Amino acid sequence: MSKFADIQIDPAIVKRATRGDAKAHEILYRAFSAPVYSVCLRFTRVPAQAEDLLQETFIEVIRKITQFRGDAPIGIWIRRIAVSKALMFLRSAWHARGQSLDDDWEEMTFEVRPSAAGSQQHDQAMDLDAAMADLTPVSRAVVWLHDVEGYTHKEIAGLMGKTESFSKSQLSRAYQRLRPMLDAEMERESATSVMQESVLGGF
Amino acid sequence: MTDNETQDDKMNCGLSIAEREVLQARLGELEDTVPPREVWKRIEAQARAEGLFQQRVAEGTKWFAGTGIAAAVVLAVLNIPFATTVVDNGDQNISATPPVSVATGNARPTNLNALMVQSRQIERDLRSLPGQPSLMRASTAATIAELEDRIAVIDYWLNHPQVRMSQEQTEAYWRERVRLMNSLLNLRRAQAQRMAF
Repeated sequence: MSKFADIQIDPAIVKRATRGDAKAHEILYRAFSAPVYSVCLRFTRVPAQAEDLLQETFIEVIRKITQFRGDAPIGIWIRRIAVSKALMFLRSAWHARGQSLDDDWEEMTFEVRPSAAGSQQHDQAMDLDAAMADLTPVSRAVVWLHDVEGYTHKEIAGLMGKTESFSKSQLSRAYQRLRPMLDAEMERESATSVMQESVLGGF
Repeated sequence: MTDNETQDDKMNCGLSIAEREVLQARLGELEDTVPPREVWKRIEAQARAEGLFQQRVAEGTKWFAGTGIAAAVVLAVLNIPFATTVVDNGDQNISATPPVSVATGNARPTNLNALMVQSRQIERDLRSLPGQPSLMRASTAATIAELEDRIAVIDYWLNHPQVRMSQEQTEAYWRERVRLMNSLLNLRRAQAQRMAF
């Protein structure tokens, strides 16, 4: 579940922030900088880029906090800005490379990457971070938005300017890539469970 | 169910329910990464440059100046010589007092190395704690920010190449750093305990 909604901020702090109080904005930053930075880092994988996106996000928060209506937790509002900035960055990066989201989809469809089922990389597959890093940026973003932040395919499609099918395809293909890691994880859990049962059975 | 919907569902069946649950659980367990401290300084500088903050004396500056005065008072009362900063500013030499109140009067002689080791140990303990609590009160966030700011100010003066300090003053600063770090550690531990329940 997303951590953004769980972080509680005193409404008085938000009110002070809307008046341009620097200290109140610093409190907001202290509360949300780690989750914002983490999302940006998961999307870009490059700390310097994630730092820039963190900065852009909070500058936007400072600029637009008067537009925050308070209908949802402020964390959700901040998350929306961060996700939008991160996706915009990914889009601009693709444009810079002369690619588009569609090209990325093609890449996902036809490219066969050895780590997907390579037993020689079994250890790496056990590492979720490494497995996620192995996905393309757009797939990683879709997995994170859908499975951690709880966005629907419709919402993801809207954010990416694509169709719901595009979002579902990305998720499905990402799952295929992550499957070896998950299978290994489940086997390990199953083995642990069997061992525990046999140990307990001895008493 | 339409053909499209059926196809969509099939596309989403890349993982079994159990596999998806494991994936979502593992993703949710991933720790947040804390950004470098200087990012806020950059944001603050940009916001001030763009006139986004309220036009008044910044609270941080007031606090900074206030502690400077407090430091001067404490050091004067205790008859302790100020650490002097000599900044080469063209033809002028500017002296400044480190804006930290460091109580050295009742301090027992302590080995500087021991303080440094203690400080490193606390940093290790801090790193071992969960990165971000799931619930955070604004007052707690403010206290943490205040402690981190004070530690940052001490670090600034301890590491400033042009600050000259006596052994006693250096020890006093390190002792204050350890004290603040301990307060921060206790606060973060309390948060972690609250998270556990």
